[in-house]
Amino acid sequence: METPHYVAARVQRALAEDERTTELGIRVDVRGEEVYLRGQVSCDERRHQIVNVAREAAPGLRVHNELTLVEVREPGEEEHL
Amino acid sequence: MRELRIAAVADIHLGEDLRGHYRKKIEGIERRADVLLVGGDLTRHGTIPEARVVADELSGLPIPVVAVLGNHDYHSDRNAEIIDLLRDAGITVLDDEGTVVPIDGVRLGVAGGKGFGGGFAGKCASEFGEPETKAFVRHTKEIAERWRRALKELDADYKIVLSHYSPVKDTLMGEPPEIYPFLGSYMLAEAADAEGADLFIHGHAHAGTEKGVTPGGIRVRNVALPVIKHAYTVYCLNGGY
Repeated sequence: METPHYVAARVQRALAEDERTTELGIRVDVRGEEVYLRGQVSCDERRHQIVNVAREAAPGLRVHNELTLVEVREPGEEEHL
Repeated sequence: MRELRIAAVADIHLGEDLRGHYRKKIEGIERRADVLLVGGDLTRHGTIPEARVVADELSGLPIPVVAVLGNHDYHSDRNAEIIDLLRDAGITVLDDEGTVVPIDGVRLGVAGGKGFGGGFAGKCASEFGEPETKAFVRHTKEIAERWRRALKELDADYKIVLSHYSPVKDTLMGEPPEIYPFLGSYMLAEAADAEGADLFIHGHAHAGTEKGVTPGGIRVRNVALPVIKHAYTVYCLNGGY
């Protein structure tokens, strides 16, 4: 079995460099045959693409989508400096 | 002197799939703020079609918009064209320079650009060794020098530095410390501290925290969208020179 450390590095690089994702801030953890993806994305379509790219970069492993959607709220309280 | 209300956001990462979404969130911004500052990573891949979405979402607002590019906006090597496209849409884009925005007789000076990395004092790269390393560090050094000049030349009542990369570690808390050198450089803070400013706005660090301060006492705010979780945040400046 490939060392999990290198699998995680490969998935993380794929997510950053693949044109479908270009996501630099996704945390990738590999435990045995399980891959966990954590981080925030701005829409559901991007979340699916991240999972697709991760699956291609880690064939045969089970990818767990633990990504959350950034909820852009209306502006809140202002800060006085 | 009148108080200025500064709306700020960064890392909006727009593309065709988000067309119309951000615009909806900033409707009515003129009731809350006098100016909108956007701290880079306007797009995902730095393509012209994405930049058109950015122009459509940010143009035609009743308040001035000042923006800088981020590293994502450089990815397709179309950064110069993106700047032109946004400027044609009425957005002021700072590329290592300053501008003065007049607001009801108050002059708001904004200086900055993309910025770059290198790390923070005591744990940073230096201009030594291989040409690649030297080029990396020199890029930040040259940017910081241009910002220092731009700040010095600004004739304004308030001054803000607008950047994509961070000037301090404070606002990176939450990011892995191993990647700090890719998230900012103390040289950006040093330039601002040398010339003085009321506020330093940046983005880039999605997992960082909002509030920090430079060694010289300038308030720093990381307004990356995943950090502030609002369409923008408003900072009110009450002081002045």
